Amino acid sequence: MQITCRGEILILSKERAIYWPAQEMLFISDLHIGKPAHFRKHGIQVPSTIGDQDLTRLKGLIEQYHPKKLLITGDLFHHQLNSDITVFSQWRATFPDLKFLLIKGNHDRLLIKDYKDLGIEVYEKELICCPFRFIHDRPIAEDEYYTISGHIHPGVTVYGKARQRLSLPCFYFGASYAILPAFSAFTGLSILKPQQGDRFYAITPGHIVEV
Amino acid sequence: MGIEKSKGYRQVLKWLKSGKRKPFQFQSDAWQYYAEGYSGLINAPTGFGKTFSLFLAVVIEELNEQAENSIKLSTKKGLKKSVKSSKGLKLIWITPLRSLAKDLARAMREVCAELELDWQISVRNGDTTASEKLKQKKQMPEVLIITPESMHLLLAQKNSSSHFYSLRCIVADEWHELIGSKRGVMAELAISRIKGILKEKHPERLLRIWGISATIGNLEQAMEVLVPYSDLLKIIVKADVKKKILIKSILPDHIDMLPWAGHLGHKLAHKLLPIIHKSKTTLIFTNTRGQAELWYQNLLALDESLAGVLAIHHGSIDYELRNWIEDALHSGVLKAVISTSSLDLGVDFKPVDTVVQIGSPKGVARFLQRAGRSGHSPNETSKIYFLPTHALELVEAAAIKEAAKTQQIESREPVVMAFDTLIQYLVTLAVGDGFKEEEIYEEVKQTHAFQEILPSEWSWIMQFITTGGNSLTAYNEFKKVVKAEDGLWQVESRQIAMRHRLHIGTIVSDAMIKVKYLGGGYIGMVEESFLSKLKAGNSFTLAGRVLEFIMVKEMTALVRRSNAKKAISPSWMGGRISLTANLGSILRKKYNETLDKTHEDEELDIVFPLFERQAAVSHVPKSDEFLVELIHTKDGYHIFAYPFEGRMVHEALAALIAYRLSRHTPISFSIAMNDYGFELLSEHPIPMDEEEIRTLFSPAQLGEDIVSSINATEMAKRKFRDIACISGLVFQGFPGKYTANKHLQSSSALFFNVFTDYDPRNLLLRQAYEEAFYQQIEEPRLLAALQRIQQSTIILKRPESYTPLCFPIKVDSLRENMSTEELGQRIERMTVEADKKNKKNKA
Repeated sequence: MQITCRGEILILSKERAIYWPAQEMLFISDLHIGKPAHFRKHGIQVPSTIGDQDLTRLKGLIEQYHPKKLLITGDLFHHQLNSDITVFSQWRATFPDLKFLLIKGNHDRLLIKDYKDLGIEVYEKELICCPFRFIHDRPIAEDEYYTISGHIHPGVTVYGKARQRLSLPCFYFGASYAILPAFSAFTGLSILKPQQGDRFYAITPGHIVEV
Repeated sequence: MGIEKSKGYRQVLKWLKSGKRKPFQFQSDAWQYYAEGYSGLINAPTGFGKTFSLFLAVVIEELNEQAENSIKLSTKKGLKKSVKSSKGLKLIWITPLRSLAKDLARAMREVCAELELDWQISVRNGDTTASEKLKQKKQMPEVLIITPESMHLLLAQKNSSSHFYSLRCIVADEWHELIGSKRGVMAELAISRIKGILKEKHPERLLRIWGISATIGNLEQAMEVLVPYSDLLKIIVKADVKKKILIKSILPDHIDMLPWAGHLGHKLAHKLLPIIHKSKTTLIFTNTRGQAELWYQNLLALDESLAGVLAIHHGSIDYELRNWIEDALHSGVLKAVISTSSLDLGVDFKPVDTVVQIGSPKGVARFLQRAGRSGHSPNETSKIYFLPTHALELVEAAAIKEAAKTQQIESREPVVMAFDTLIQYLVTLAVGDGFKEEEIYEEVKQTHAFQEILPSEWSWIMQFITTGGNSLTAYNEFKKVVKAEDGLWQVESRQIAMRHRLHIGTIVSDAMIKVKYLGGGYIGMVEESFLSKLKAGNSFTLAGRVLEFIMVKEMTALVRRSNAKKAISPSWMGGRISLTANLGSILRKKYNETLDKTHEDEELDIVFPLFERQAAVSHVPKSDEFLVELIHTKDGYHIFAYPFEGRMVHEALAALIAYRLSRHTPISFSIAMNDYGFELLSEHPIPMDEEEIRTLFSPAQLGEDIVSSINATEMAKRKFRDIACISGLVFQGFPGKYTANKHLQSSSALFFNVFTDYDPRNLLLRQAYEEAFYQQIEEPRLLAALQRIQQSTIILKRPESYTPLCFPIKVDSLRENMSTEELGQRIERMTVEADKKNKKNKA
């Protein structure tokens, strides 16, 4: 689905990513690589295939849009180095020409060196890319930039007639900021309450629906 | 061998005589059987000394042994000086409720003191202090009164097996309460382990296993579940005594005084006051904690003289407070106590002479159990009042009275193949002394719950806890249970062990937060989700007090007293209880009698005008009729059907019918139900005639159709919530101990989806579906209901508006969805509707 935001054309993908053609940039949020392995390390059984699936989806997106830059607005890694990250590192190596930019999220705790080894450019706080500001969690104060963040794993509940309802992950576009859905399938949702002027793009298995 | 001649027996008899008592036949029978080496089950009404039937049996054995030892001692003079008796745990007494333990211990200590028996009697459960536990670890008492959870905690300690070397008997008290739940499975597993430990150490010793149960429909099976061992002799000892019970309904002057729907029943509150004043002490039972809080406020508002003599008791109230209330009940200081099931069982409060049940008790067994809380002595009459919360509950009252008279009491189905509980148990053992796989497999296979476990299932479970899943790839990081050098499976990580101990148990609740006064003093706990909706300054009620919320600090909610007139009552999540099949069928019969006036129930006379109204606008179904109402309102097109089979069966039935209706044309329904019937609500009209209804409710292809109905997934997902917690995938917060690491947070729904997509052969997933099928959907009961409907005359009515029968269903807030439309399509349609609505609003 194609939308316009602050005069820029953005393409929303049902694989939970946004492509910005003008900058040839793909952006996603909350990949949480290493979360399954981290859980396993603590004695909680999580199938490893789920992490592989995330990377396969991301690969598909890269092959579809051929971006020059991949921007992750935080929580690329879930915790510390583990076997999932080894897998990621091999996967990363298959895209030598693609620039990886990471805005540090609350979960990103690797050493500067580790990021460097993985070929990832790290931004401690935010990245301004006119007219947008990319940041992990949205700031309280507003300014001239339109903020794009992640962190909360947004979801939206759709109500229908005869008291039906459904909760789905979504892209949120408000008056002054937008929130990306969590890219990883191994994440929960926090349901947002719509305010006046908000736009929600719900993600269904088939396509994206504005609600 | 005649036990009557033994020294211990005569000593006990003499002591009883001194109090002008003599044993009931079933008691002396039990003593005899115990002495002969039997295990088994005692069935007796409350108030007839069930406890003594087993406790004294063990005491007699001890006294006899002491006597024997002293004879030996006198013959072999001076050889051994201190053969008095061996120390150590002799009797484990399992109780389902903490509040029972204190009382039992008191009674047992009295006996020991009077018989000059030097026995330690201790309690161990969630309320036991750390110092007491440490004391027990150093020297086990002779008698340990314990919950199933604490038994597992005991097994999760290092060197725990040595505690059981001198054990003679395990008693499962109130076994009927445990048998139908996973806590029963916990008890089965713990017993199997303790039996195994003892057998290995002292193969010559006989461990006897006894249960005590109120009357249920399947006593025989209840014994087999508790004592499945073929090497033990077993018997059921039934008391040949009848408890007198008086059941009376609190009736409105006119049926219009009662609402058509609702669950509070405040309209009749003023009629409760004279009953409270007339009685010495009244126990008032409600079905939910929220209801209890509201009734407390309401009664106080109606009658200020009750202040100070009215108390409230439920599971979310702080231990100290509950303790105080229980003591006050014993001493007779309180005039009335409002309680939930927390006071259901065996506690013997002498001053209680009246019991009130507010709202439907949903089953005969539960009602009689509660009635038994009053008139506790053998020859007294138990008195119970039933206070209906809505008009149709009056019919239920009449049905319960009949069931009590004819002793039609429900069975409690034992839980089997609870893999989550088994996983938890195996990790428990691994946290404790570790286990040998073959040995534990044999023990587990002997229990009733897992007698049908397949070797493949066992190895899946072992893989699940050792390598992290049924997968060919070895996960290097996965660490839970590992094989130590001595060949025992153990948990090495202290962190995992600690977390596991905190989560032993099968009762899953939402994250709870303790509530404390700013100046100190705990009041109880509320669900985190409730608290998150409060703002500072808001008032809510807990333990009957109006409290002003200040803030949450270190996982404790700080409050101060409030003078606010209006306050919110927290609602604690809890499963809604469903009407039993037994009560359902008596209920249908009562519907007949109301119309025919062939009854002697005053309740049915009162409800008669409502039935006339129902008959005028629609129809009152007789027991050989099946009523379906089609109603069109601005909400949409409603189908109401009334099988009277209980909420749970209706839930499945509604999904099934919705599925069958939507098989040809894709359509979406919203579904609601109560104990009497269910509703399908759609935005499109559904054409229907009598013949079509018969086909819709056909038992043919029931199995396949249930599987196809989307609802099975939803139901399984809900079941999975508990399973994920019990098996240790998801951690529920603990009041005050909320240390759940944020980076390990996840939800059961997430795991359900992940397993469905990436590990479909996961046994826990299968368990969720099986639980949904056999416990939730109750397929056999569903089939019986459909067959009954086939035999019935089908009555189809098209009333103009809501009828007295359908109204309670319509207002029920819990709703399900069922759809065969494609997801995207459905959202698009819903969006279009929402748009239209917005435009209309703007215009």
